[in-house]
Amino acid sequence: MNLTNARRAGACGVLVLALAAAGCSQSTEGKPAASGKASITFWGWAPGYADAVKAFNASHPDSQVTYQAVQPGAKGGYQKMLNAVKAGNAPCLAQVGYETLPSFAAQGALENVAEHAAASKGDFQEAAWKSVTLGDQVFGAPVDTGPMALFYNKKVFDSLKLQPPATWAEYRTAAERIHASDPDRYISSPYLNYDYAGLAWQTDAEWFGVQGDSWKVSMASAENRKVADYWQGLVDDKLISGAPMYDQAWYTGLGNGDIATVVGAVWQAGVIKGGAKDGAGQWAVAPMPQWDASAPRVGNAGGSATAVLKGCGDAKAAWEFAHWLSTDRATYGALVDKAALYPAAKKLLDLPQLRKPDPYFGGQNIYPVFADAAPKVGSEWTWGPLMTKTAADLDDGLGKAWAGKSTIAGALRTAQDQTLAEMRKQGLRTAE
Amino acid sequence: MSHASPRAHLRARPPAEPPPARPPRPTAPAKAPRRRARTPLLFCAPFLLLFAGMYLAPIVYAAVSSLYAVRRSGLGLTAPTRVFDPLANYARAFQDSAFTGSLGRVALFGLVQVPVMLGLALGLALLIDAKSARGKGFFRLSSFVPYAVPGVSAALIWSFMYSTQSSPVNRLLGPLGFTVPFFDEDLVLWSVANIVTWSWAGYNMIIIYAALQSIPAEVLEAARMDGASALRIAWSVKIPAVRGALVLTAVFSVIGSAQLFNEPAVLQPVSAGAIPSTYTPIMSAQSAVAAGNYPYAAAQSVVLALLVGAVSFTFFKLTSRGGSA
Repeated sequence: MNLTNARRAGACGVLVLALAAAGCSQSTEGKPAASGKASITFWGWAPGYADAVKAFNASHPDSQVTYQAVQPGAKGGYQKMLNAVKAGNAPCLAQVGYETLPSFAAQGALENVAEHAAASKGDFQEAAWKSVTLGDQVFGAPVDTGPMALFYNKKVFDSLKLQPPATWAEYRTAAERIHASDPDRYISSPYLNYDYAGLAWQTDAEWFGVQGDSWKVSMASAENRKVADYWQGLVDDKLISGAPMYDQAWYTGLGNGDIATVVGAVWQAGVIKGGAKDGAGQWAVAPMPQWDASAPRVGNAGGSATAVLKGCGDAKAAWEFAHWLSTDRATYGALVDKAALYPAAKKLLDLPQLRKPDPYFGGQNIYPVFADAAPKVGSEWTWGPLMTKTAADLDDGLGKAWAGKSTIAGALRTAQDQTLAEMRKQGLRTAE
Repeated sequence: MSHASPRAHLRARPPAEPPPARPPRPTAPAKAPRRRARTPLLFCAPFLLLFAGMYLAPIVYAAVSSLYAVRRSGLGLTAPTRVFDPLANYARAFQDSAFTGSLGRVALFGLVQVPVMLGLALGLALLIDAKSARGKGFFRLSSFVPYAVPGVSAALIWSFMYSTQSSPVNRLLGPLGFTVPFFDEDLVLWSVANIVTWSWAGYNMIIIYAALQSIPAEVLEAARMDGASALRIAWSVKIPAVRGALVLTAVFSVIGSAQLFNEPAVLQPVSAGAIPSTYTPIMSAQSAVAAGNYPYAAAQSVVLALLVGAVSFTFFKLTSRGGSA
């Protein structure tokens, strides 16, 4: 009799668990509601997205988009999205950085929306469009890009009668002069993962490529070696600060002149302004230093897309919102102000918000520098299929290299080997 | 109402009347035991359900998924498939020098940090428990406060103390021509150990102190009457009496060492490469997740869990044998 009861309780428990499980896996995402309205959920974290969604709902009575703020991708947002896709209850749309999109694709977490999206190719800058596609598949709409420039502390440069360096050779000279003027002063902090990738991107030193149906990994290529050796030279001569980027020590250094430049993407403007209030009025923006001044090239760091996740029942409505978010003038203007996003859509490059002088940068209007830079961004760059892992492996090596305990070239070589090993373990095809 | 009625019943019952028929016992037994058996089950049900759903199910899920290998093909642009290959992930885990290295690291960490921390905790507890101690409340609270600081916040505070750029410790030591390289590759494990000790010594002290409180006063009194010094009482009476608490805190601390994550993960970005992304077993499993290889992460977790289980079990066995001898 006890057994029956136990069994009954057990059966009850199983039932409850099963119901709970069923409740979790029943997704109605993207399926037209009873009213015939398309209902879409969107996960993101950029400031200003919530208001953009409100504006969309107000102007599109036959669609209903629900915005849910999640943790920034690298801080757990991406994991949450992948888990949701696995559980079958993912939202239709999610904010995904370009560098992570191929990893999502390699997990089977993205929906190919080429059918609806292919016609819009011409609306976006070439490099940005390339970032949301793999072969002839399209995974979402590019929102912003990260063309790079040189942020420099004009006060420090002026006090040493230095001009912002136009070439990497001049940058090195400036580095020596700055450090010689004060042993606590350095030209820059170390660059890791995607910030470092931007430096490689400038010389088209691709890390990954697709050859037929194989992946090519080329982090240790000769082109990459050139960039690595240049920075290694600065490290060896102790011209690089030890303060890690985005650490409090970095912000302090930016504010008090101990760190005199940041080679970074347009959105670094927001980071520097927000984190180094003491530097107000001292900073300025100049074009990225060049390897060859006669053939200017620019790198890209960051930028993200509104990606359509696997399992979305209404890819057409999802694409419609994604495209609108990237191209609507009024909405995007607000995003420029709130999140320092730089548009991926060509026709938004003349937004009035991109023409305002900024008191933090001594009254300089910084956006024309980036407008000049954007067309010089190489469009051949491809991100790998295990990017989170690759970036972590690379940082393990780069951290030591910047501290002078090993070399940048060695870090790239190790990251390449580890990435290839993991890809092969999982059965991905790799080309030599 | 319920407590008034029986009395009313008693008063109303005429003494001469024969006692009312007892409840019909003989017909009941079929039902009553069943009800009796069901009641505790019902009370346990919420726990059992949650236990099964939140605890057993994930463990079983992880253990089962560790038996599969992730397989992709070509560029891998479709969802990966899983092939049943029970040993693949385990074989890989034991050949993975990053993972085995991380196991060795936490083992070394546990061997050194746990005795140091528990020694400190025991010492503090004995001091506060001492008859002549003043300001017991203050010292008890202040050594416990670090435990109230969330692990991540504590690690952030310490990362500031250690950072080459900001370390106030090194700023003070600097003029003496001496600095501590907290992020030196050989030293960084002990920088982490210092944070863990700071966070947990007070917590363990409270447990040991509570055990000290339960020593009967007459035992201590007797020891004093026999002329034992305070030190002698601590060594021969108090410490043996809190043996149970020491074993308990030791096992918890060993498990804590094996699961080391917060502190090294927070220090990693400022450690100038001294802490790699696979520094501890859990960080190593995380890095497998980052590579999209959940089954391999599950296998690493299972290996860690089994090792911790074995170590804890052996430790309990050894200490309980010692106790009976």
